[in-house]
Amino acid sequence: MNRDYFSFFGIEPQLALDPISLQQRFYELSRQWHPDRFARRPASEQMEALDNTALLNDAFRTLKDPVERAEYVLSRYGRGLEDGAGKQVPPDLLEEVFEMNMALDELKEGDASARPQLESARANFTALLSEIDADLERQFLRWDSVKNAETLSAVRTLLNKRKYIVNLVNTATLALGN
Amino acid sequence: MAYSDKVLDHYNNPRNVGSLDKGAANVGTGIVGAPECGDVMKLQVRVNDATGIIEEAKFKTFGCGSAIASSSLATEWLKGKTVDEALAIKNTDIVNELSLPPVKIHCSVLAEDAIKAAITDYKTKQGAAQPAAEALKA
Ligand code: FES
Repeated sequence: MNRDYFSFFGIEPQLALDPISLQQRFYELSRQWHPDRFARRPASEQMEALDNTALLNDAFRTLKDPVERAEYVLSRYGRGLEDGAGKQVPPDLLEEVFEMNMALDELKEGDASARPQLESARANFTALLSEIDADLERQFLRWDSVKNAETLSAVRTLLNKRKYIVNLVNTATLALGN
Repeated sequence: MAYSDKVLDHYNNPRNVGSLDKGAANVGTGIVGAPECGDVMKLQVRVNDATGIIEEAKFKTFGCGSAIASSSLATEWLKGKTVDEALAIKNTDIVNELSLPPVKIHCSVLAEDAIKAAITDYKTKQGAAQPAAEALKA
C-alpha cells in the first residue's frame, strides 16, 4: 500500500505543518478507523481498518517530525536530489570539522587540555543547528507557497548539512562523556 | 581488501605529519573533505618566496589508510618542487605509485584536491600581500 500520507490526512502536501491541527486530525482518524468499531463488520472491512490504522500511525509519525516530514516530501517530490547520508562535509565547515577532529584525537590520546576546545566546538555546532532549523523553517514556508524544485533542493542541502552536524555533535558528546 | 606494501609503509610511518603556521604569508593551507566517506585532510606547504620552491610540506589526515598514504606521499613529492610543478601532480600518479584499487581512487583524489587547495591559498595570499607591501613602501 502506497497511499500518500498527506492525502490520507486529507491535507495538501506541505512542509510547514501546524502540529496542533495535525494531531487533531490524527485523533479523528484514529477514532474513525479504530478496530473496535469494526468488530461486527465483515472480515474484509476489519482488514481495511487494521491497514488504515497502521498507515495512520506511520503517517503521523512521519508528518509530525519536521525533518522526517521533509525527507518524506523529498522522497516523493524531490526525485534526483541526493541524500548525502550525512557524510559530505559542508564546504564552509571544513576547517571547524578538521579542528574538532584534532581535539578528538588529542582527547583520545589522553590530552585533557583538548576538552575545552571540544566543548566549545560542540557548542558552536549546536548553535549552528538552531540556525539551520530556522533556515529550514523559512524554506518550508516558501515551498508551501511556490512548490518549486529550487526550494526543494535548498531543503535537501540544509537537511544534509543538518544530518552531518548532528553526527558531529553526537561524536563530541560521546567523546566528552556527558 | 589488502593494502599494498607502499600504502602500509606510509600508513605505518607517515612522513611529514604536522602543521605549519597557517598565518604565515608564505604558507598555503588546504583543507578538503571526501564526499564519499566524510574523511578530511589538511595539507600545508611553505614556499620560498625568492625561488618559488616548496621547502616544507605537512599534512594531517583523518581518514582511511589510503588517504593517509596518499597525503603522506604527496608531501614527499611536494618538497623541492616549484608551485607550478606541484599543480601538475595528478591523483593518477598517486594511484600508480601506491597501487590503489578502484574503490580507493577517491582517496587519492582527496590528496590532489588538498594540494590544489594549498597552492591556491598560497597564491591568494601572495596576491593579497603584494599590494599591501607596495602600500607600505609608498
Ligand atoms: S575511504 Fe575516503 S578517503 Fe579513503
